Amino acid sequence: MENNFNRRDFLKVLGWGGAAVTLSACGNTSVENGTEFVTSHSTEAMPEYAIPGVYVHFNSTCAQCDGGCSIFGRVREGRVLKLEGNPESPINKGKICGLGQAALQAHYNPDRITHPMLRKGDQGETITWDQAFALIKDKLTGVEGGEVAFLTGATSGHTGALLKNYVDALGSAKHYAYEAVTPTVVRAANKKSYGVEMPRLHIDKARVVVSFGADFLGAWVSPVNFTQQYAKFRKGSDGMRGVLVQVESKMTLTGANADRWLCIRPGTEGIYALGLINALGAKGFKVPATAATIARDYTAERVVQETGVSAEHTEKLVAILMQRTPSLVLVGTAAEGYAHGSENAAAITLLNHVLGNVGKTMVYPASVPFPQIEPKAGGRNTLHALSDDMKQGKVKVLFTYGSNPVFTSNPSVEFKENLQKVPFKVVLTHYRDETAMEADLVLPLDSVLEDWGSSVPEYMAETAQINIQQALSERLYPETRGFGDVLLALLKQRRPAEYDKYEDFYAYLRNAMVTNKVALGASSGTSDDIFWRDTVSRGIIKLPATTAKVSGKLAAIPSLAKLTLPNAFAVDEAYPFHLIPYTSAHVRDGRHANIPWLQESPDPITTIVWDSWIEIHPTTAIKLGVVEGDIVEVASRSGAIKVMVYVFKGIHPDAVSIPMGYGHEAMGRYAKNVGSNVFKILDSIFDRETGELALHETRVKVTKTGQKVRIVKDEGPYGGGQAGKRIALRKTTDKVNLSKEV
Amino acid sequence: MTLKIKDDKPFLRDTSKMLWDGEPAHAEVKDMSPHISFAQITSDVVNSLENPRPIYWWAIAVCVFMIAVGVACEVYQYRTGLGVSNKSNTNVWGVYIASFVFWVGVSHAGTLLSALLHLTHSDWRKSVFRYAEAMTTFALMTAGLFVLVHLGRMWQVYYVMPYPNERGVWSNFQSPLVWDMFVIGTYLTCSSIFLYTGMIPDLAVFRDNIHDGWRKKLYTFLAMGWQGTDRHWRNFRVAYLTLSVYLIILAVSGHSVVSSDFAMSQQPGFHITSFPPYFVVGALYSGNAALITVFIVLRFMFRYEQYLNMDVLRKLVRLTFALAMIWTYLHLIEMATVWYGHDTAARDQLYFKATGAYAGWWWLFNFLAIVCPWVMAFRRWQTNLPVQMVLSLLLNVGMWLERWMIVAPTLGHSHYPWTFDFDQWPSFVQWGILFASFGWFALLILIFCKVFPAVSMYELKELNYARKVEAHHALVGEPATKGAH
Amino acid sequence: MSIANLLQNWSRYRDTHPYGGAKPHMGYKWAMAIDMDICTGCNACSVACYAENNLAVVGKEKFLNGKSMHWLRIERYWHDTPEPTDPLQLTAYTASGAGKHFPDQGAHFLPIMCQHCEAAPCETVCPVGATNHTQDGINSQIYNRCVGSRYCLVNCPYKVRYFNWYNYQDPATENVWPEPLNQQLNPDVTVRSKGVMEKCTFCVQRLRAVMVDARTEERLVREGEVQTACQQACMAGAISFGNMLNPDSRVGKQWIEQGVNIALDVQSKNEHVGDNTPKRGYRILENLRPYPSVMYLEQVRESSV
Repeated sequence: MENNFNRRDFLKVLGWGGAAVTLSACGNTSVENGTEFVTSHSTEAMPEYAIPGVYVHFNSTCAQCDGGCSIFGRVREGRVLKLEGNPESPINKGKICGLGQAALQAHYNPDRITHPMLRKGDQGETITWDQAFALIKDKLTGVEGGEVAFLTGATSGHTGALLKNYVDALGSAKHYAYEAVTPTVVRAANKKSYGVEMPRLHIDKARVVVSFGADFLGAWVSPVNFTQQYAKFRKGSDGMRGVLVQVESKMTLTGANADRWLCIRPGTEGIYALGLINALGAKGFKVPATAATIARDYTAERVVQETGVSAEHTEKLVAILMQRTPSLVLVGTAAEGYAHGSENAAAITLLNHVLGNVGKTMVYPASVPFPQIEPKAGGRNTLHALSDDMKQGKVKVLFTYGSNPVFTSNPSVEFKENLQKVPFKVVLTHYRDETAMEADLVLPLDSVLEDWGSSVPEYMAETAQINIQQALSERLYPETRGFGDVLLALLKQRRPAEYDKYEDFYAYLRNAMVTNKVALGASSGTSDDIFWRDTVSRGIIKLPATTAKVSGKLAAIPSLAKLTLPNAFAVDEAYPFHLIPYTSAHVRDGRHANIPWLQESPDPITTIVWDSWIEIHPTTAIKLGVVEGDIVEVASRSGAIKVMVYVFKGIHPDAVSIPMGYGHEAMGRYAKNVGSNVFKILDSIFDRETGELALHETRVKVTKTGQKVRIVKDEGPYGGGQAGKRIALRKTTDKVNLSKEV
Repeated sequence: MTLKIKDDKPFLRDTSKMLWDGEPAHAEVKDMSPHISFAQITSDVVNSLENPRPIYWWAIAVCVFMIAVGVACEVYQYRTGLGVSNKSNTNVWGVYIASFVFWVGVSHAGTLLSALLHLTHSDWRKSVFRYAEAMTTFALMTAGLFVLVHLGRMWQVYYVMPYPNERGVWSNFQSPLVWDMFVIGTYLTCSSIFLYTGMIPDLAVFRDNIHDGWRKKLYTFLAMGWQGTDRHWRNFRVAYLTLSVYLIILAVSGHSVVSSDFAMSQQPGFHITSFPPYFVVGALYSGNAALITVFIVLRFMFRYEQYLNMDVLRKLVRLTFALAMIWTYLHLIEMATVWYGHDTAARDQLYFKATGAYAGWWWLFNFLAIVCPWVMAFRRWQTNLPVQMVLSLLLNVGMWLERWMIVAPTLGHSHYPWTFDFDQWPSFVQWGILFASFGWFALLILIFCKVFPAVSMYELKELNYARKVEAHHALVGEPATKGAH
Repeated sequence: MSIANLLQNWSRYRDTHPYGGAKPHMGYKWAMAIDMDICTGCNACSVACYAENNLAVVGKEKFLNGKSMHWLRIERYWHDTPEPTDPLQLTAYTASGAGKHFPDQGAHFLPIMCQHCEAAPCETVCPVGATNHTQDGINSQIYNRCVGSRYCLVNCPYKVRYFNWYNYQDPATENVWPEPLNQQLNPDVTVRSKGVMEKCTFCVQRLRAVMVDARTEERLVREGEVQTACQQACMAGAISFGNMLNPDSRVGKQWIEQGVNIALDVQSKNEHVGDNTPKRGYRILENLRPYPSVMYLEQVRESSV
């Protein structure tokens, strides 16, 4: 697909200095100082921007996670050198996280696939794209629509729309959206409790935040936005510093930043939330009758006994919740990951209603008025459905994109085995990951920095927005294609009349946007070229309030039935420990494990690099007779892995924690054989309401193997101690005056 | 002047029996027997150039092998990078710097014997000072190699020198490393000149006693036309005295400057005021121990039993013991000042040395360097060659460990707890190069002793003359009035 | 080339220290302030530093052996005694009840990079003058002057200097940028060779670019005109950086407001009130008198929960 468009006529310098303010206050926007934002298809099409030694900035969208941050790339001589946040976007306001920065190394990764590959026995054979498309066409003939399945990660924007159209064009083909780690249960509980799946959060406006295992500073929903809000929350509006209380069994990054980290017995988060409601009522707080009834049985003694959280801390928390309003209660990964996850989440959302936060720190989110480009996400329950279909031979052709199910599936899904029953498997990917190793046809995709696209973030910070993903550079390898381009080519096989007019996905995207320019906020008099140029150079379309749905209101307190929270003391003699799979902010579900910067970036809590580990509480470690660096075997009912011990106080003595995303068997030199894969020992226990896999429900036993390694971490032999020196200092709020700080 | 020598028989040379059995019964001589003739001294020394014991050649072979090991390690390190020596960003220095200090230390004993004792008219030094002076030069050359090996970019080492250039870039005169460069350079230059100057009369003797071959040409050139005239001798003595005075100042300042590499930094455990005297005395101590080792080796290898005799050894051993005790005192002073000081970082540091990851090495060094020298206090062992051989080696191991204990645990335990690093064990590359340095040093000494007079003939003759005079006066019952000055 | 030249260089070399009255900073003194109360320890700054400054990813084995290259590292402290790792000690520790104590007020994250000390201990000991104080108050590192004696790192109290133990760009041995990863390398920043020391430069390439612009326009660099890579990445905005001498600069205001004087080693705000001072600003290991240019704001924890 050559870029034959003569686009030179509009590739001019835009005098758009506004976004450049953070970089340059001098107002000089000539191309030479490299601080302007321009449009690009590629540097080949616009040689005037490839001036040696001069930086050009192109806006685009980060695709490292689903947060939807807008970025700009610093491009010089056709090479993307650095990514920064686009100040225009309300989600990230000019900032991006380490994961986002590392998209560069995904783009320049030496292990990318450069040609379409066809399986020949155990070998892959390089073929051309024409051959690949012909092969797909051939394989699809005679196959019913219902026998074709698409497995993708979260999708949105125009690729999402094209995918939907292609699935439709195939007849009744199925689209399974699957994310290995996603707040499915929270979404459902929110929907039930507030009426929307993902309400907009005002952490910055809250005086107290009580987070039940929501790692909003690390890897939860939209960490860049939440971290920015957190900074404001900490500073407070009038010198009144926000108070963060984290309730969880394993200390996450957010827990490490909490004023009080309450270590709770795994799975009893819901009990604690109801206990708080009860205690609030007992202190004279006006608790609605429905909630009071539900929480009536959760007396202070019972809560102490079942959750293990001390009464003293609970009393203090209740006092501060009554004193400082508004507050905000968050429910996150740790609370939802149980068979009773929905109940847990419901109880916690109830606490938000009781505290009166709904409508204050938790408001109705904006959404885009174009349902076809809305985000589509799914959890592990979709994977189960697909795997079952495959097992029964219902799937003849499978396409996968943006997910690595062979790696991330838990063993009882038997995904890899069932995959063998699919006659033709097409994997659209960047790397030779575990799923690609099983494929019949591997189609190499453009990196995010080479590809065009659009996306709609699930969590929107202010107004509704559509993010434009602009190609920041030429293709590194001529034989890769964008996901949109592939879909378009496939659609042309089915609906030539409709799609032949688009030369490539870029043309489709431009047409789709330009056609709707009025709905997207442009005045009808704006020429198509100017609208498009403006849109692309900004990298974001903020939808006007009139077109975006922002007028809604969160639901009032729901009439919940009595919650059925299980016995907190259910002891499993054979498998005594709760396993807490931890979402690393660096490698997430493993998709970023092949990025050297992220592998070498220490885990914030343990400071371990280039490996996975198991966190064990010191008292448990003594019982097991293990010390730091011992290799232990962690066995569940579904399997066993070996992993090294890190003795750590920030975890409940009954729980152990292993980070997800390590232990790849493929995916290139940086990911392969680094650590162990915790997904391989997850038991198949599901949330009773949503059917989502209960990630935290697995019970394990830990046995010493006798092997020992030197643990690779940044912290020295003194650990977190300071040897009596004044290095990291801490004050309490009663000893500091924050009101006049600059 | 006529001399009546009572017993003019040549000294019996039953050397095979003498090696380990102590002195022959009639050797109650002091540092030099009056029964030796000048001609014999000359012939003994000249002969030592020609017929060392066969073990000499084995020793040469071993040294070459040791050097080969080190060269291989260094080539590997040069090509791959200093990382192969297994240092870390915390333990940035290691065996190389410890060995550098060690070798600079070894060099000091030679200066002590040749220059300081020259000034104090300690005549017993006359048989040992020549090879001691050679050790000074060669130990400094070895130390210099460690500087090169240690540098990340040894090919740019000339940046350290303040040479004129168009960019106006100078080396940083504040840095103790630049002082080091100056002081070691000066010390090496001066000690080489001193060594050479002192050899001139002996080289002339060689020139006159050897009649052909490359040696003749070499000695003719190096003797610089020495005729032994009165004027030659007068100038020679003035020059030698001046140089020796100068060299003493250099030696004391030399190791003081090396100590300031540490004392001038603010690393706890380095930043100690008493380091200069501690280092100087430690240098003399370890240097003297090394002298004893070489003494015993040369005595056997080149058949110098009459000159490197037991009386000289006894004096050497006593000197070493005295230095060991001064050093012990300074070592305790160093710890005491740290202990009573208010610098908690330094105190933690000391505590860490005694109890932490390096404690075993630290206590071993304390045992070797403080307790072991007490063996030297006992007269019966002072001339026992096997004991002194083992002991002198142990003392040097102890003193090397001392230098390593200054470098390794200190760097691992700095001001900043996050970067503490206790288990960075030097790799085979560092050990290999250290190993090779001993081969290199020994090879230089062995070659020197084979080519140049390892004992000073003219001074021996002076001593011999003095003893003869003493013997004569003893015989005729008159007090001796003149020594060999 | 003369002795006069030497002396001239010499005196100029020394006079940029904060004490002694004169402030020869020529209009600029770059400084930083890091608020540890809002720093979340997320490592974004560190990754941004890798991207901007061509830092080598050394890999597992070399990281284990203390050869990591993170100019900006995030340290994680617990505000209680460190856990013994030896089983015997651990038993005693637990028996004493200490093991039940959770780190329940969270961790303490401390981003630390070169502190650009005004009286930098590293500068005085470098034999070749490869590390110097610039007129705008930066501790510079001249890679092609460095001979690799590593004395600077010995004398650095913070241990924030990083040595190139290997040739990290050598395709034969230690290549950490295999094709096409090397295309990401920032052309404004040297890729350091084997045997030289490196460290945080306050993104000097960015500073110089705007300073040249400003000089062309005959003015000083304005507040906000330049950001360091870590500052630009920091989502919480915990890092502020700028020209301290500029009265508009946030960092200058913060230093003044926190009562931290760059030229003092004991701050007057601490003299009488001890640790109960209501201000949070302090500098690490100030008592060693390196006069660092990075001020830290103490972490705060709520006293009522």
